[in-house]
Amino acid sequence: MRIVLVKRIRPLPLGGVLIPLFSIIIGVLISTVILYVIVGASPIVTLSCVASSLISPEIILTFLFLTILGVALLVAFSGSIWNIGAEGQLWLGTAAAAYVALFTSLPQAPMVAKIVMVLLAMAFGGAWAAVAGVLKAYLSIDEVPVTLIMNYIAYYIINYLVRGPWLGKETWGYIRTDMIPDQVKFTLIPGSTTITYEVLVLTILTIALTYFMLKYTSLGLRIRVLGSNPDVLKAAGVNVRVLIIVALAISGAIAGAMGAAQLAGYLHRISYPIESHTANYGYTAILVAWLSMLDIRAVPIAAYIVSALYQAGISMQIAGVSGASATYVFIGAVLLTFTVLRVFSEYSIKIVRG
Amino acid sequence: MEIASYILTVAPAFMAYYLASLGQGFFEKSGVLNLAIDGVFVLGIAIGYAAGVYSGNPWIGLLVAIAAAALFGMLLAYVTTKFPISHGAAGLSIMFLGYGLAGLIGVTARNTYNQLVASGVYPQYTLPITPTARVLMFVIPILIGILFYLVETKTKLGAAIRAAGENPHAATALGVDVVKIRLIAAAIGYSLIGAGSMGFLTWIATWSEGAGINHGWIAYAISLAAGRHPILTIGTAGVFATLATYMFALQAAYNLSPEIAKMIPFIVAIGAMVAFMATPLRKKLAPPLSLGRRFFKEERTV
Amino acid sequence: MRVTESKAYNSNFSLKTDIPVVSVRSVSKRFPGAIALDNVNFDILEGEVHALLGENGAGKSTLVKILYGIYSPDKGEIYVMGRRVRINSPKDAIKYGIVMVSQIPQIIDRLTVAENIILGLEKYGLTSRVSEVREFIKVKSKEVGIAVDPDIEVWKLSYTQKQLVEILRALLIGAKVLLLDEAITFLPLIEKRKFYKFIRNFADKGGSVVLITHKIYEAMDIADRITVLRLGRVVGTVRRDEVTPDDIRRMMFAEKSAQITYERLPTSKPREVTALEIRDLWVMGDYGVHAVKGVNLTVRAGEVVGIAGIAGNGQKELIQAVIGLRKVEKGSIRLYSEDVTNKGVTKIRSKGVGYIPDQPARFGVSLDNSIEENLAMLPVVTKRLIKWSAVRELARKLINEFNILTPSPKTPVKLLSGGNIMKVLVSRELFIAKRLLVAYNPTRALDEVTAIMVRRIIKEKAIKEGVGVLMASEDLDEIFQIADTIAVINSGKIVGSFPGDKADRDEIEKLMVM
Repeated sequence: MRIVLVKRIRPLPLGGVLIPLFSIIIGVLISTVILYVIVGASPIVTLSCVASSLISPEIILTFLFLTILGVALLVAFSGSIWNIGAEGQLWLGTAAAAYVALFTSLPQAPMVAKIVMVLLAMAFGGAWAAVAGVLKAYLSIDEVPVTLIMNYIAYYIINYLVRGPWLGKETWGYIRTDMIPDQVKFTLIPGSTTITYEVLVLTILTIALTYFMLKYTSLGLRIRVLGSNPDVLKAAGVNVRVLIIVALAISGAIAGAMGAAQLAGYLHRISYPIESHTANYGYTAILVAWLSMLDIRAVPIAAYIVSALYQAGISMQIAGVSGASATYVFIGAVLLTFTVLRVFSEYSIKIVRG
Repeated sequence: MEIASYILTVAPAFMAYYLASLGQGFFEKSGVLNLAIDGVFVLGIAIGYAAGVYSGNPWIGLLVAIAAAALFGMLLAYVTTKFPISHGAAGLSIMFLGYGLAGLIGVTARNTYNQLVASGVYPQYTLPITPTARVLMFVIPILIGILFYLVETKTKLGAAIRAAGENPHAATALGVDVVKIRLIAAAIGYSLIGAGSMGFLTWIATWSEGAGINHGWIAYAISLAAGRHPILTIGTAGVFATLATYMFALQAAYNLSPEIAKMIPFIVAIGAMVAFMATPLRKKLAPPLSLGRRFFKEERTV
Repeated sequence: MRVTESKAYNSNFSLKTDIPVVSVRSVSKRFPGAIALDNVNFDILEGEVHALLGENGAGKSTLVKILYGIYSPDKGEIYVMGRRVRINSPKDAIKYGIVMVSQIPQIIDRLTVAENIILGLEKYGLTSRVSEVREFIKVKSKEVGIAVDPDIEVWKLSYTQKQLVEILRALLIGAKVLLLDEAITFLPLIEKRKFYKFIRNFADKGGSVVLITHKIYEAMDIADRITVLRLGRVVGTVRRDEVTPDDIRRMMFAEKSAQITYERLPTSKPREVTALEIRDLWVMGDYGVHAVKGVNLTVRAGEVVGIAGIAGNGQKELIQAVIGLRKVEKGSIRLYSEDVTNKGVTKIRSKGVGYIPDQPARFGVSLDNSIEENLAMLPVVTKRLIKWSAVRELARKLINEFNILTPSPKTPVKLLSGGNIMKVLVSRELFIAKRLLVAYNPTRALDEVTAIMVRRIIKEKAIKEGVGVLMASEDLDEIFQIADTIAVINSGKIVGSFPGDKADRDEIEKLMVM
């Protein structure tokens, strides 16, 4: 007797909902066990942290940022291009936006300045990603180590700038840039200390435009086919090399936009060293893109869950441990469970005699 | 600078980077994409530290680190080969888990360490760093590397691993048990990664949360830059270990800002990858053909 | 219809033992959306050559893959020498002496011959050195009459050599039952005869051979018994000397047998215009050696030029160069007098060139995408924005015209059977080919009925629409059916060119292997 997996003809009913749901529940349970066994965290405390995070308004900003980044990565992943470089791309976007805000005279026209900040951020993020694209397209160099390495190069470039030419005048002993002028800071929604109109608009625009691109443009279709069969595209007459570069550039541009949003909508300045101040959204967005199963409509849902897990980890407050470790356990457990459970949405189990 | 003092100084870093990248290359030759490496490397450091603290014996630390790493590696290999699962997602999830577990385990161990120290006990959790030990840290990994090269090119095991990485379906038809072979490659490869993490712990000497993060990726880059070739990896690992160890000295000598100095290893990595992919070397050093591809029977093919 | 020289190859067949070496009872197998095998009973006797005939999709390959452990049956049992066994993997099958050689070499390019072979030899453990088998290989291959260097990397071998190595490997790992899954179908007769001799030898010494083919004459040439499968069911098992080819054809196709014809399609009268002109073409192969060495070829509008040749003589590279997928080192390609040498696939496709590649799943259709998407992805079908309604209409039209069996135009193509996937590709390319069609083995995966239909459509396109057709095929029957001009390619050169209706088959085959 053997257990055999057979591919489903029709997808599992409600699989798109049940599988992520079960993954989260099981993942959280596994994390609870781990936290109890290793640091003695009470399961009740753990679970209540998770529960309260799901309804905490604290997560909304993270949710918005992760949605944008999730969409950025979804574009690349749809083409089977592993963009692990969202971190570097988004921070370069932050830097580009900082340049406009602090070192040009554009802030005199705030509307223009804000738009230019976002656009320049997209340009830099896109160009940064495109470098990896060129190496992949023309030299078949795997994008995973390249995009990853470029994260560090990006960090160090920005660190150099912040410590050097960009060092602020009013810093009170901290190594950081000045705060960006008030008029180019994004406008807070009444009643909130973190959420801004502009970030909301940016999030919605990102989803809408990307959805349209993927479904109704030939570029979008080709990126999707690139994900499973680049040779077919080549034989069909599509320039696959350019396609790879474009897909990565779009991915990096969207990430860059988020970087601009992070500067104007939240951080308002860049502090040295970046490695210590980053929330590592560029990496957790990878989980978001995966949980969405490359369906753009599921990205906000996935972002919601991941930002809740984020918050849960931070609020755990285990002695001596930064929130990061607990968060990583949550995220890792959920992603691993999801990766395994996802098999059942595509395959059914059969018991075979003989 | 004399060779001798060079070897002595660079040894722990070299052991860390070379063993980890050697193991990573061996593992990926079997066809599984290794995105878990940074997480398991970090975890190995924390587990080696904890085992060393609790037992007072760094060799136990080494054994436990090796065992733990091998276990996670085998989990990754099993899950991605037995089921139609994305290698990347599985690898990254183990990476995250590795980071998280490392933090929790390390902090718990550190509390114990502080208590022990307060009562006058100093558990030894790093490997010995006497000059003899340092020389061995240099020599033994290289010997292991040569052994790996011979295994890969001259034995049936090596042929089976490469077959699984090139074309697991064909390998199955030829009689290879792909699951078993990938488990073996994982056990061996990740054992080295675990050993490398002990080398790293010895190099940095104290543990703090996040110790080792990103260094697993450096080992990954080292391996790729050498085309996953056991002997060539000696070169790339040597370069990185040198740069990492002499970072401050280089900075002072050439008046570099620390940021530029930190950038050098990474730029070198990309340069190396470009250099050999753009030349005829790619025939021998290209990645395994089926690296990262899902392996599953029962698929209909034309 | 060929006259078969059967006497040289068939022994005086008689039952050597009562128990079949391998026996299959009530085996059924289902794939998503299709039944591959339905309640099949099948016996392999000791010392026999047993042909398994059926059109594409009949289930022959599935049955044999079940015997080799690549698939597991949903129902049914397998018996070896009367004992019930479970074959869960090729390793198990090999243990029972069952070895399969398929049409596509399974040996791995990057490894050497010795490495590939040692993988299947159980008596060598994982720690053994590859050099230990070297002598064994040399000795055995001399015995069998096949010469091969154990240390050569497989990617350096030709197709025929690779198939030889495959068979050598099968013997070396102790095959008692050889399953040949169309393994020799695409070799020309001269090479095939060598294999026939060896197969007969093997059977006479007590081995058994299951030969899968869809060519009736091949079965008549070599088999002792013939089993015919149709749509997953066994139609019947007969002794070769008791049937005629027509009987077999009737068993294979039943009501459709009237449509099968090996006769030529009408010769077209080509137009004055030159559709494709290839001058002194040099194209590099995959291994640093020129695959095409100074080819001159002309295809006129409305003419079908068939390139005959053994696989690996440069036809693949030639076709790829014409469509723009491979770089031209020297020489020129002109499409309706316009120079398109190295101008790229995009440009060439935009001129109305259709392309049916040899590997449809890799270069033709994207399996994960639907028929609609496989149409929409072509730059010649859609511009920047996709109008899905127009695409849907085109999809429906092609589905109807070619009788493509699919639940809907939105179904991922991978869920269709092999033949239907090919239909998607062929229908799409025939639609796009407004001025030139280049193809390599266009009907390889198709059943006989559809294959004939495709050839008819291609011929019609040539005659009625004046499309030029350059078609390379490893199936000589096909070339003889369809070509107005037959060109023979050998070692990268065109070694002969003949009008299709007057060509002498033997001469062409000689040119193919000289």
